[in-house]
Amino acid sequence: MIKKLIVYLSLPIIFVWLLITSYNASKWKPDSFSEVLADGRWLNDWPKWLDIPLMKWINDGFKVFNEEYGIYFEIVNNFLLGAILSIKKFLVMLPWPLVIALVVVIVFFSSGRKLGTTVFVGICTFFIGFLHPKFWDKAIETTSIMLIGILICVILGIPLGIVMSRSVKVRNAILPVLDLMQTIPSFCYLIPGIMLFGLGAVPAIIATVIYAIPPLVRLTDLGIRLVDIEVIEAAEAFGASRRQKLLKIQLPLALPNIMQGINQCTMMALAMVVIASMIGTRGLGDEVLLGLQQLNVGKATEAGLAIVLLAIVLDRITQAYGQKIQDRNKPPTK
Amino acid sequence: MKFFNKILALTVISLGLSSFSLSANADCGKARLADFDWSSANIHTAIVSFILEHGYGCEVEVTKGSTTPIMAAHYDGQLDIVTELWYDNIVGNYDPVEEAGVIRNLGINTPDSQQAFYVDRTTADKYNLKSVLDMLNPEVAALFTDPEDPSKGRMTSCISGWTCYTVNYVKQRVYGLDKYYTNFDPGSGGALDAAIAGAFAKKQPIFTYYWAPTGLMGKVDLVRLKEPPFDEACWDAMSAVVEDIKANGKDAYQPTCATEYRDMSLDKSILTSWEATHPEETAFLEAYSIPTATVNKLLAFYEDESDGDMELTAVEYLKNSSEWKSWVSAEAAAGVEGAL
Repeated sequence: MIKKLIVYLSLPIIFVWLLITSYNASKWKPDSFSEVLADGRWLNDWPKWLDIPLMKWINDGFKVFNEEYGIYFEIVNNFLLGAILSIKKFLVMLPWPLVIALVVVIVFFSSGRKLGTTVFVGICTFFIGFLHPKFWDKAIETTSIMLIGILICVILGIPLGIVMSRSVKVRNAILPVLDLMQTIPSFCYLIPGIMLFGLGAVPAIIATVIYAIPPLVRLTDLGIRLVDIEVIEAAEAFGASRRQKLLKIQLPLALPNIMQGINQCTMMALAMVVIASMIGTRGLGDEVLLGLQQLNVGKATEAGLAIVLLAIVLDRITQAYGQKIQDRNKPPTK
Repeated sequence: MKFFNKILALTVISLGLSSFSLSANADCGKARLADFDWSSANIHTAIVSFILEHGYGCEVEVTKGSTTPIMAAHYDGQLDIVTELWYDNIVGNYDPVEEAGVIRNLGINTPDSQQAFYVDRTTADKYNLKSVLDMLNPEVAALFTDPEDPSKGRMTSCISGWTCYTVNYVKQRVYGLDKYYTNFDPGSGGALDAAIAGAFAKKQPIFTYYWAPTGLMGKVDLVRLKEPPFDEACWDAMSAVVEDIKANGKDAYQPTCATEYRDMSLDKSILTSWEATHPEETAFLEAYSIPTATVNKLLAFYEDESDGDMELTAVEYLKNSSEWKSWVSAEAAAGVEGAL
């Protein structure tokens, strides 16, 4: 009760404080405050002095942040870049038929030996290079950036989803942040990303994570909450600990949803490819941008199709795996 | 696809925002202005809009976007006036359309602009870097190590797809820079600005291609590296190689000579169909030209004092300068002055 009262009282105080600081900081304020009271014209158009100096705060804060902590971002940058480069080097080193064969094998087993899917995905993979020989290495570059991005999403997103599913308070706190991440235009964080990490793949990965993690978090949270309460009760009746409940009941039963989350995460990551190339990331997005800048419709479309093919391949792999788990968990038909 | 959508959405929004206009005079009707995503173009567009609107009673519509889509719309006859044209950068696309008689280059809007290779002042002084040839040194290259290719230094270059990217590629090979430096494509103008600003904020060395007039140039201390002085014949020879590479890929490279960028003028461009029905307005646009120093001052005013208000910047110029009165008829000048 007292807590609530404090909150309700402090909010108006903060609001008034904001109004006063904004007014004082404004370059456009009238000579004296009495002028504002006497002259009502400011009621017609939004007055220039009624403007919170958020831009200045963010710019100043960012400047200090960049100067003080820039070195830590350098370390993160070098680490991530090393990871991408080694994945890329490895994949580029492999002869292309071997890569296609690997993809086919992975699809075959993850889909539960479905022949149709396997053949389809194999053909899609072949067509990436078939569209334009240049695309093969570019697609691998894009894939290595995405793999790192998705890996970070999984490492951060699944635990976050689990925590959210366990506490309403945490969920209420995190949901608006997820909304923000999904809707804020990517250039808002790409430009500071460049200043912190430098041009290239790393700010693109950060952007990919920001953009692609929300569906994974949401679906993990949802999946765990959708687990049948009776199953949980049964587990509790057998004396399962929280840890056992999570690892042996909730997570396995939520796995189809989590896989769907990873699938969505992958798709959203691919959607970032072209935007990422606008900040100097190599890959298929490059070619789309180049086609666009040269007004070469054919080139842009060709590269766009290659991105779609890459998406289909990754979608089928993740989708097929989720489907397989779902089939396994289905109660036997009578 | 997302990128296309974004551009489309932006265009629609900006069209929507700018389609409501003030005074409309039956004489002029609509004037569709093109605007780009950098400040100097915004300034010219704001000044031209103000004069067309208040001096000639045009109904001005401004559409803002990045170079390629906006220029494509201009070639296609959807935009009447381009107030700042970086002609040398788009020459390959522009010339055929001009030859077809759809558009016409109206001459200079800013007498000189610079494009060159730059190094930040601190590094340049410390290692005595004065010309591009001073960069041919593994120790110097190591200062600018490219994290994606640690064996070389990074030269942050022009945006791939723009002519200057290929020009830089050829120059690197002619000067021998390619052995020590990568020709790194920053992807977009905003990203290039951010990379330069970021390097200065972190006090790191940077070796970059850049141009002026820009707002950023006034805020950071970049040293222009000397190149062989501009020579028309050499430039033409180099341009031939550049166009060949753009058409046939990097294998088409042939040894050529290289020279510094021409301090080129920025131009204006107009749709010939609009010109035919608007002789008076065209005469004004043809006369329109603002000295580079003034543009730089306006850029500084825009960024530091106007609070990001381009119209205020235009008004500031029209109030404090009288050169514009010689471009327009007395009647139009009176109209503009009345609106200030």
